[in-house]
Amino acid sequence: MRPTAVILSLASDYGCQVQISNFPEILEMLSTFDLGYWQFVSSGDMPDAYEVALIEGAVTTDEHVELLEKVRATASCVIALGACAATGGIPGLAIAGPVRGQLKEVYGSGEKKVGAGARKPAPISDYITVDFTIPGCPIDPAELSRVLQRAIRALVDTPQRQSMCGECKIAENMCFWLAGTPCLGMIARSGCNATCVSRGRPCTACRGIAQDANIESAYAFAAQNKCDADQFESLIKIYNAANEQATQKAVTSKKTAQEVVS
Amino acid sequence: MLKGSVMVTFPFDMKGSYMYFRILEKDQVSTFIEGLAHVYEVVAPVMRGGGYSFEQVRDGSEVELDYPLTIIPPKKYFVRPKECLFRYDSHSGALDETDHEVSPRVLFGVHACDINAILMTDKIFLGDYVDPYYKARRENTLIVGVSCMPIPTCMCNAWGTGEVSQGCDLFLTDLGDRYFVTCQSFEGAHILDTFAKTHEASAEDKQALEDHIREFSQAFREPVDTTQLQLLFDAKYNDPMWETIGDPCLSCGACSAVCPTCYCFDVVDELDADGVAGCRIRCWDSCLDSQFAEVAGGHDFRPTRASRVRYRFYHKFWAYPSRYGKMLCVGCGRCDVACKVDINPRRIVEALREGESK
Amino acid sequence: MKKTHVAVDSSQAYRELKQNPYRPWPARITSITKLTDTETLFEFRLIDHRVRERFNFNAGQFMELSVFGVGEAPISISSAPSKKGFIELCVRNAGAVTGALHKMRCGDIVGLRGPFGRGFPFEEMKGHDILMVAGGLGIAPLKSLINHIHDERHEFGKVTILLGARNPDEILFRQQFDMWRHRDDFDLIMTVDQPDETWDGEVGLVTRLFDQITVDPLKTIGVICGPPVMYRYAIDEMRKKKLSVDRIYMSFERRMKCGIGMCNHCGIGHQYACIDGPVFNYWEAMNLQEAM
Repeated sequence: MRPTAVILSLASDYGCQVQISNFPEILEMLSTFDLGYWQFVSSGDMPDAYEVALIEGAVTTDEHVELLEKVRATASCVIALGACAATGGIPGLAIAGPVRGQLKEVYGSGEKKVGAGARKPAPISDYITVDFTIPGCPIDPAELSRVLQRAIRALVDTPQRQSMCGECKIAENMCFWLAGTPCLGMIARSGCNATCVSRGRPCTACRGIAQDANIESAYAFAAQNKCDADQFESLIKIYNAANEQATQKAVTSKKTAQEVVS
Repeated sequence: MLKGSVMVTFPFDMKGSYMYFRILEKDQVSTFIEGLAHVYEVVAPVMRGGGYSFEQVRDGSEVELDYPLTIIPPKKYFVRPKECLFRYDSHSGALDETDHEVSPRVLFGVHACDINAILMTDKIFLGDYVDPYYKARRENTLIVGVSCMPIPTCMCNAWGTGEVSQGCDLFLTDLGDRYFVTCQSFEGAHILDTFAKTHEASAEDKQALEDHIREFSQAFREPVDTTQLQLLFDAKYNDPMWETIGDPCLSCGACSAVCPTCYCFDVVDELDADGVAGCRIRCWDSCLDSQFAEVAGGHDFRPTRASRVRYRFYHKFWAYPSRYGKMLCVGCGRCDVACKVDINPRRIVEALREGESK
Repeated sequence: MKKTHVAVDSSQAYRELKQNPYRPWPARITSITKLTDTETLFEFRLIDHRVRERFNFNAGQFMELSVFGVGEAPISISSAPSKKGFIELCVRNAGAVTGALHKMRCGDIVGLRGPFGRGFPFEEMKGHDILMVAGGLGIAPLKSLINHIHDERHEFGKVTILLGARNPDEILFRQQFDMWRHRDDFDLIMTVDQPDETWDGEVGLVTRLFDQITVDPLKTIGVICGPPVMYRYAIDEMRKKKLSVDRIYMSFERRMKCGIGMCNHCGIGHQYACIDGPVFNYWEAMNLQEAM
């Protein structure tokens, strides 16, 4: 009997689900499961029982939290799919101020009609235990395939701990910093073979902050290379604003970096 | 080096008394490379996106022999950054190691430091145990070295790795408009005679060679004193210098990736979509990764960044020489360029020596 | 001590191993014995009979165990070299590979490479008294040595085994050792940190047992294996008994990934646990950075 899987969305742009549908080998891989529900393409309801839940998107409402708790109680394996679910991602940017204030800024007088039960954006791991994380914006289908294989075999997640620069060197890229362009590779979680840098764009740490990352040291390096702490922090916040640990660390390291500069 | 390869298919006749030294005019290099490319996979330094890298070439005009440094050393042609060792069937345990890429290859335009680095990794992969993947590629690779001029990060003068006494088949020394070619192997002489138009070296050429050698040795920034490095390392094993130098480490592994003598690897299993067949994959690893020395259950024998940085240099300056008599560093300076927080052999050597010379 | 890197065997199978040391031999799980909540004794049989017949090893050597699709883990051999045809590995469920192994059943196929490393100097130990100190899972490699000594008991003098565990449930091979307590050719003393109502042995750290034993330092070879914290204390006690530093042997746990001295994961100072160890004598260990 095939295990049942469901694919759900919280606050996201469905990009990672589009990514899944883009790759025939992933669809084939998913056929190992009985796909009970896929929010992107299903019109029916969620099944009552399922083993694997892939969740895309950040938590931004009370409804999301309820859903997550229900999913966790049902599924034996919960997989965070993509940057929004893993780190809060782009929706995480809304953590900057009070939610209501931001809604007002956007919707003006219509503010009261929107955002029922809105919360501060957060990665799903803030609310429930996550078994596997597939980071990135969008996800790498090959990584999804590997993780699903591990999930089927009930293995544990083995996240990359190193930051990106090593992989970026193996891809034989010139360092953006040498040309004076800030890049987050030195603190970003590795695993994508520095795909953006290889395509000519600096790393934005969409895969989150590496476990081994030395954030204080990175701030100091940035400061020495004409990227002050505020600028560096704003770059980190693009994808990691809701990652409390990273931003907390950033606050302290910002101080150290300023000490280095002064 | 070359055994049982496809190339020795035509009779090779030494022309009378063969001269060990030949002269290759620079305008003949393209023809040489293109000739080689008919028989071999020719890998040479080319310019890509603002940096240099070793890549397969067919067009001789692409090749940049006057290059300062490639981002990744030629080690990638002996141990691939990520490669499948064998495929397996996870149910039956049946293995298949048939699809191994081993094509006769010429590494064209390798600096002396990188050639010496290959000789150092030979000791590891072709020692008591033989790595069959490395061996196959090594035996099917010819190496054509090329001379260089030091850039500020170079420190091969510290280790004596700026010259090649063995390990390549041909070595080209740049004399301006021509190369002074030394043949170090039969196969080297063979490819030179088969694919390149050369002539004998004159007394003038030999004089120019001497001038080049002098110029090279004088071009270094400053001498690096490496006397009794192992003893100094022992004395300073618990010195605060490791905390000062090592704690800012970004744990990115860039230094290990670009180092021609770093050979650590990890082995992981991957499964195909069917969940039955899969492959065992070897990929480059770095001892600066916090997982590197961790055992199952979580005990980590090197829990701090400083301890990992120290281990990296302990291996290079103490462990490897204790076995093979040479430092595991060729002074190419790649890590000096790659490291954002200034952790490099020159700084370590200076820190180990500090207080002694001053 | 001479370096015996692998069991000497000029057979075809051995040459095959030499040709591709990364290549595991398929092996079948023939028996699974649950020892504690986390440790299980697995017995394997190499499927290729040519390899099986010629396979031999020294006590203290280890195997690389493959669970295909998951990876490889180094596990020391628990069975005695004299037990032919089967290989016993005592495995703690601690990582990805060992976790996957614990989900497998009899008849399932795994891969085995080896044996690797330098084991205990069995020949040199002959004619001596043996004093073994084991803590927790440290008994796994020593079990091989104990059984080997048992097979050639007449070659050895007094054999003393000090065995420690956190609680009675965590004593590996307890049944066998319970019986051995009453033998007169082995002096076996067991101790636990936290006794329960069934426990009639000693209580406290394994190093406290040294008060109960007499040692002839000129005739005795010490052997230690246990969790990293135990080594220092056990060595101190052996030194108090006047054992020479080169006569105290210990086995180290490291992350042996390739088993053949290439990948560098098991580096201890300037040596490798996989080819120079995992068994070192104390003199060697004293001169190894980051050994203890």
